[in-house]
Amino acid sequence: MSSEWQHYIAVILVYLGVYTIGSLGLNLQFGVAGLINFAFALFQAVGAYTAALLTLGPPDEAGFQQYLFGANLPFPLPIIGAAVAAALVALLVGVISLRRLRRDYEAMVMLVVSLIAVSIATNAIRLVNGANGLSLVPKPLASVLGLNPYGTDYQWVFVIITAALALLTFWFVRRVTHSPFGRTLRAARDNEAAAAALGKNVSLLRLETFVIGGAIAGVSGALLVQFISSWGPGNWGISLTFLYFAAIIVGGSGNPWGAVAGALLVPVIFIEGVRFLPVSGPSIDALRWILIGVLVLLFLWFRPRGVVPEQPRRFPAAVQRQDSVPDSVEK
Amino acid sequence: MDAMIAAIGFGLVTASILALGGVGFTLQFGVTNILNLAYGEVMIAAAYAAYLITEAGGSVWLGLAAGAAVGAGLSFVLNRFLFTPFIRHGTNLFGMVIVTVALSFILQNVLLVVFGATFFSLEMPPSQSYRVGGMIFTGTGVTILLIAVAAMGAVHLLLKYTRTGKAMRGTAANADLARSCGIPTAHIIDLGWLVSGALCGAAGVALVMNYPAFTSSTGTEFLIPIVAAAILGGIGHPYGAMLGAVIIGLSTEIMAGVVDPSYKDAFAFAILVVVLLFRPQGILSEVAAQKDVVA
Repeated sequence: MSSEWQHYIAVILVYLGVYTIGSLGLNLQFGVAGLINFAFALFQAVGAYTAALLTLGPPDEAGFQQYLFGANLPFPLPIIGAAVAAALVALLVGVISLRRLRRDYEAMVMLVVSLIAVSIATNAIRLVNGANGLSLVPKPLASVLGLNPYGTDYQWVFVIITAALALLTFWFVRRVTHSPFGRTLRAARDNEAAAAALGKNVSLLRLETFVIGGAIAGVSGALLVQFISSWGPGNWGISLTFLYFAAIIVGGSGNPWGAVAGALLVPVIFIEGVRFLPVSGPSIDALRWILIGVLVLLFLWFRPRGVVPEQPRRFPAAVQRQDSVPDSVEK
Repeated sequence: MDAMIAAIGFGLVTASILALGGVGFTLQFGVTNILNLAYGEVMIAAAYAAYLITEAGGSVWLGLAAGAAVGAGLSFVLNRFLFTPFIRHGTNLFGMVIVTVALSFILQNVLLVVFGATFFSLEMPPSQSYRVGGMIFTGTGVTILLIAVAAMGAVHLLLKYTRTGKAMRGTAANADLARSCGIPTAHIIDLGWLVSGALCGAAGVALVMNYPAFTSSTGTEFLIPIVAAAILGGIGHPYGAMLGAVIIGLSTEIMAGVVDPSYKDAFAFAILVVVLLFRPQGILSEVAAQKDVVA
């Protein structure tokens, strides 16, 4: 395989990995806990900015970019720091907006929070270099391994890092979804009053999920910034959040496999779906968004549970009760 | 101090646009019970309609009327052929938010394909400036103020003194009870889309009168202060939205004029945070309470 092809495939794999991690995080919030987090891209951005600041050296007064600080930390500390920072911001946003509001009202509040955060990052130049964003973020492990950070070998190292983190996230999200905690979240999603009546602290559960999902979003953002080595306000508009929602709705909300399916399908549809249309220029991007919008509407209408629907769960106790019905023939 | 008074003048113009948009948004939610996040795109569709009319030689007032008509018509059609079918199909509140966001992406990008990625500006007739106290109003500013005052007056008369308006308030407060009192709520909800859509369209036209240039994504940007005004005043409450518009419009412009323009959005955000922390149902909260906005 020529090195151009290897390069191309490696880039795609990294993007799909980042996208999968993000979808798993959002699916935990949206699919399992029923939180319409329209500020999802914000937490990815917090992760990306944090990872960039922790990787970059101290800012140079005469340099071309201004930022708060640079810590020059080695891998994997920036990614861990990104997860922590995104979790903290999620805690802050969650405390403000998850106040047992009606769900659509809550979603609108999140949307506004996200839009305002973009405008603050754009206008407060000293924070993260404003509209131009941060660039020249060093790549992890390149100097340790003695590889050219733009060479194909390094790309494959990054694919391995991404794949490892994606698997770890999948394992974690699956554990959370199947745990008693996940069960309570689904109960609260389907009938909040009933869950509360059983003594579950629904508000706290939702806040906890929001923070966990935020941390996962932070990891995905950190990976992305380490790979593309730049990050600015243009990277994390509401359109990014919408793309993640599209992935979950198409894939199937509420189960990790659905999130993975959506994360693999939607980008392909997004990029390839307009291939055979006779247009070019800026219109092609607009048509992509129209296509994704229509796709989401079609799925909500015809297959609201997605390609891989969430399976109704059966518990041993329930099965036993059925078996002990008197006129049951089998024992 | 002079900067402060001048900023109040700008603030009044901003508040006028916010009031048009905010009252439309809040009325739409109140009467129809749908939180329409494609609102900003309908605004900009109306602005494009006004642009086409003025480019064809029509007056600004004709453009305004066309914008209001497009806003009303588009909102009505979207409800009839998209929102209502989805609700009948069994999509819950949860899903309806996604439906309106998907729609906002579709509309915004259809406008982008049709009109291209360039900036447009609405040609306003040249006019003198007016000085009132220390405040300076351009002719455009006065026009916008007049539009807002007239529209707010009309909304007030409609809601307070007509049977239709009272039926709208009844439907907003409790649709089931309104129906059992003999109010044809389906019909009233259709009217609600028309009236709120007309306000939305007028807000879009007023917005681009005041903006140097607009493009297909301008509506999304301006949705922030509109939503902030509606939430601050108490969602679903038209007078609350007017109050919220004045507070947000004046405070952000004073902040921009006296402190630093780049903190304008941050200040709107600060107001929103304070409201959500201490009074998530907003200042005038009757409708919000009826709709269980805050559990």
